[in-house]
Amino acid sequence: MGIITEEARKWADREYPPFEMHVSATDIAKFAHATGETNPIHFDRAVAQAAGYHDVVAPTLFTYVVRMHASALVPADQLEPDGSPSADVPPLPTKRAMAGETAVEVGERVVAGDVITVEKRLADMYEKEGRSGPLVFVDMEFTFTNQRGELVARETFTRIYR
Amino acid sequence: MSLPELGTEAPVQARTPTALDLFMFSASSWLLHRIHYDAPFTIEHDGHPGLLIHGPLQGVYLVQTAESWLGESARLRSVSYRHLAPAYLGDTLECGGHVTAADDEGVEMELWARKPDGTVTTTGKARFER
Repeated sequence: MGIITEEARKWADREYPPFEMHVSATDIAKFAHATGETNPIHFDRAVAQAAGYHDVVAPTLFTYVVRMHASALVPADQLEPDGSPSADVPPLPTKRAMAGETAVEVGERVVAGDVITVEKRLADMYEKEGRSGPLVFVDMEFTFTNQRGELVARETFTRIYR
Repeated sequence: MSLPELGTEAPVQARTPTALDLFMFSASSWLLHRIHYDAPFTIEHDGHPGLLIHGPLQGVYLVQTAESWLGESARLRSVSYRHLAPAYLGDTLECGGHVTAADDEGVEMELWARKPDGTVTTTGKARFER
């Protein structure tokens, strides 16, 4: 007997409206400092321009910032008590969530001034028995493109509910 | 610049994110999950001993370990990582990796983050190309 109800199962293959993020040099600097980056290409426009870019360059996994804004930049009443965006959380009896596997294919770099569009889909959900009870795995898929239509990244991310 | 050979190891980088680092990562990515900044909630609701170091932050640490070693010689093309054990505020994560395949275009690496007691918290694979 599983804990994924018929109602929850309807969330599989769910598509979300595309989200656009206008990426600023400030957004890039915040993420770079938060992750301890020291390469000035992320903070100093002159250094980035000397390397052939028109503005500062985002760290390689910056697309994480884009997809989190796509999920969580909503009014506070659209968040779960634990802060998770309600639109991402299928109706499950589980109370706690944690990060599972992530896989990213990297394409074009993100540069300040880019407009990145992320298309998002809840691809699948399935259940496994864990040490302390049932675990539900929810697979999300993301495709990131820039304002020129170039592929910036594809990502799959599994969130685990217990 | 030449790429490293098969079997070569990247220098281990020890990372000990502070509460400030965890908050900056949550804030800069707009990750609102309370288990990374609200200690009473994390302990009482989720049953953890303390605030969790974000999985995606550990993913960044793995990539940085390789990128800072490879320098300008190669660029990340793909990475995947998964979490085997939780990492908490106060934990030091020793991040390292080695080359598992090398060809004319690039290298593949296995990457890991572990606590000083040997517990591996995150493990990953990445490909870098010229």
